[in-house]
Amino acid sequence: AAEEDQQAQSKKALKKQQKEAEKAAKKAEKQAKLVCCVFYFLSSQDFAKDRYGVSVMVQSQQKLDRVLVQVQHLTPEKADQVIWLRARVHTSRAKGKQCFLVLRQQQFNVQALIAVGDRASKQMVKFAAAITKESIVDVEAVVRKVEQKIESCSQQDVELHVERIFVISQAEPRLPLQLEDAVRPDGEGEEEGRATVNQDTKLDNRVIDLRTTTSQAIFRLQSGVCQLFRDTLTNKGFVEIQTPKIISAASEGGANVFTVSYFKTSAYLAQSPQLYKQMCICADFDKVFCVGPVFRAEDSNTHRHLTEFVGLDIEMAFNYHYHEVIDSITDTMVQIFKGLRDNFQTEIQTVNKQFPSEPFKFLEPTLRLEYTEAVAMLHEAGVEMGDEEDLSTPNEKLLGRLVKEKYDTDFYVLDKYPLAVRPFYTMPDPNNPKYSNSYDMFMRGEEILSGAQRIHDAQLLTERANHHQIDLEKIKSYIDSFRYGAPPHGGGGIGLERVCMLYLGLHNVRQTSMFPRDPKRLTP
Amino acid sequence: ALLGKDLGALRDIVINANPAQPPLSLLVLHGLLCQRYRVLSTVHVHSSVSNVPPQLVSCLGPRHADSYARHMFQLGFTLIWKDVPKVQMKFSVRNMCPIEGEANVARFLFKLLAPYPSDPAAATTVDSWLDMAFFQLAEGSPKERAAVLRALNSALGRGPWLSGAEFSLADVACYCCLLQSGSTSSAPANVQQWIKSCENLGHFSPAKRLLQ
Repeated sequence: AAEEDQQAQSKKALKKQQKEAEKAAKKAEKQAKLVCCVFYFLSSQDFAKDRYGVSVMVQSQQKLDRVLVQVQHLTPEKADQVIWLRARVHTSRAKGKQCFLVLRQQQFNVQALIAVGDRASKQMVKFAAAITKESIVDVEAVVRKVEQKIESCSQQDVELHVERIFVISQAEPRLPLQLEDAVRPDGEGEEEGRATVNQDTKLDNRVIDLRTTTSQAIFRLQSGVCQLFRDTLTNKGFVEIQTPKIISAASEGGANVFTVSYFKTSAYLAQSPQLYKQMCICADFDKVFCVGPVFRAEDSNTHRHLTEFVGLDIEMAFNYHYHEVIDSITDTMVQIFKGLRDNFQTEIQTVNKQFPSEPFKFLEPTLRLEYTEAVAMLHEAGVEMGDEEDLSTPNEKLLGRLVKEKYDTDFYVLDKYPLAVRPFYTMPDPNNPKYSNSYDMFMRGEEILSGAQRIHDAQLLTERANHHQIDLEKIKSYIDSFRYGAPPHGGGGIGLERVCMLYLGLHNVRQTSMFPRDPKRLTP
Repeated sequence: ALLGKDLGALRDIVINANPAQPPLSLLVLHGLLCQRYRVLSTVHVHSSVSNVPPQLVSCLGPRHADSYARHMFQLGFTLIWKDVPKVQMKFSVRNMCPIEGEANVARFLFKLLAPYPSDPAAATTVDSWLDMAFFQLAEGSPKERAAVLRALNSALGRGPWLSGAEFSLADVACYCCLLQSGSTSSAPANVQQWIKSCENLGHFSPAKRLLQ
C-alpha cells in the first residue's frame, strides 16, 4: 500500500511540475510579447527607430545588393570596416547602457556590442537585449580590434560595434535544450552542478542539437570521409554505381531483412548491395563502388547498431590473388585517414573538446595478420577458444588491444577466416579447406568491414549453397549471373557512421548518424 | 627457447625506429637472420611520421615472393618507422616488456643467431664493446670517439676480431657505429684492416647502401 501511495504521490508531483512548467512558459511568452509591444510604443518617439526592429517576413520582396560577410572571415584585417552579416543570437547579456551579444554562424562566433550613443538609443539596446536566443538577425556593424583576446569566441581578435540590428526570424523564448549544456563534456557538468543533456533529449530535438559546434564538426568530417572515399576510388579507376534498395529476395537468409508490401506481393529492403555489385562485375565494370542506404532488421539495441545506415561498398575484379583487393581497400582507408588528419584537424579538435580521445593511429601499408596468428595471440593472453571458432565481440576488443600494444595501430586487417563462419559465397582457401579467402578490417578493435573473395564459379557456388542448406530456387538468378563467364573478384562494405564514430573515438553510433534509425527510434 | 612457446603461428618481432636515426646494426642482423631462418620482412610507416625517404621504406629489400602467406614463415621481422626517442622492440607483449635501445635489441636478435660466449668474461667484453659503440662512438664527442678508436686499435692488434678469434656482435655494433659517425677514413691501421675484413664478409651491404 505504501508503494502505491508513493507512486500516486510521485504522479501528483509530476503533474504539478508539468503544470508549473507550462505556467512558466506562458509567463515568458507573455513577457516577451509585452516587451515587444512596449518597444513598438516607445520606438515611435525614438531617434534610432529605423535602426532596429523585427523585419517583415522575407518573401523575396526585394533583391538587395548587400554583401553579407561570413563570421569566420572577421579578422583584424577587416578592422574599422562597416559590414553586414546574418547570424544567430547565441547569447545576450545586457548591462545598463550596453548589451553584449554573441553572434554565431555554424561553428564560428563573434562578440557584438550595442551601447547607447549617437548610433543607438536606449530603446535599441533594450530591444537587442530582449531578442530571444537562437533568433536569426541581420546586423550592420563596424569591426573593431580588441586589446584583450575574447576567449569565449572563435573570432578572438575583433568585436562588432552594432549600428543596425533587425530580427529576420524569431525563435520561441523557451528552447527544449540549451546549446551550452549539449556540448558540455561528460562529467564536467556534475562537478559544477550544471546540466548536461542526455542522448535521447538531444536526438528528440535533433535540429537544435545539430547546431552545436560538436555536431557541426562531426558531420563536416563525415562529409569529408565520403568525399575522400569517392575521390580515392575514382582516381584508382573505379566506377560509381547506384543499385536498387527494394529487392525481391534476401541475399543471405531472410532473418534480418525488412519486408515491405509491393503491390500484390511483398519485397525486401536491401541489407547490402552485394548482389548488384557482383552482377556489375560480371557485366564487365571491373571496379565499382556504391554509396547508399543499407537496411538491417536486427532487433539489437547496442552502441554500434542502426537499422538504416550509409554503406560504402566496394567490389573489384582482380588478376591472380585476392590480396590485390585487400591492398586496394586498405590503401583507400589509409588515404581517408591521412586526408582527415591533414585537412580536418579543426573539426577533430572541436569534437575532442567534448569527447576526448587519443588521435587515430595507423600504419602504411596496413598491417595484415592471419586468423591463426590472432588465435595464437589470444591463447597467449589466456583466452580459450577453438581454432575454427568465430571471434566473439569481447575477444575482438581484446585482440584490438593486443594488436595496439604490439603494433600501435588502430587499423588492421585480419585475413583467412575459418570457412565455417563465413557466408556461402566465400571462396575456400585452396591450401587448407578449413579456412577461406576472407577478411575483416578493424578500427579501434571494432569491426568496420567484412569482405572476401567471392565464388565466381556457378558449380562451386551451387555446392556451397547446398552445404549451407539454402533453397537454390530463391537464389537462382544470383547463381545464373556467373554462368556466362565471370572474372575472379572480391570486395567489402563499410558503414559510414561506424567509421566516423571509431575514427573520432566516440562511443555511440547515433552521434555520427544525422537522423538515427534504430529498433526504438523512427523520428525525427 | 628465446622466443617462448610455439603456438603454431608466425612469431613476429616488431621494431619501432625513428627515421632520423636508422638502426644500421639491426639491418645487418636482419640480413644474418634471413640466412638462418625463413623470415617475413615488412616495413611500415606509422602515422606519427610523414615523408619517410623511399630508401628507408625499402631498406629490408624486395618483398618475399611468398609474403602473401604469413604462416609459411618461421619468423616475422616488422620494422615500423615511427616517432620514437629510442629504438624499441616488441615481441610477446603479454610476457615481455618492450626492449629499448638499439644495443639491447641487437643483443636479443644476435642470440637468435649464435649463443653468447659461455665464458662470463668474454660475454662481458662483448657487452662492453656494445656500450662503447652506441654511447661513445655514435653519440660521443670527437675526443671520446678518438679514445674508442685507440681502444679498438689496440684490441685488434691482439686478434682478427674484437672478441678474439670469432666474429661477434661486438664487431657488428662497432662497425655500424663507426660507419654512422663517418670516422672510417681517419681510423688507425689495425682498425682500417678490420674494416676491410668486415666488408669482405658481405653482411654490411644493407647498412652501407642506406648511408649512400
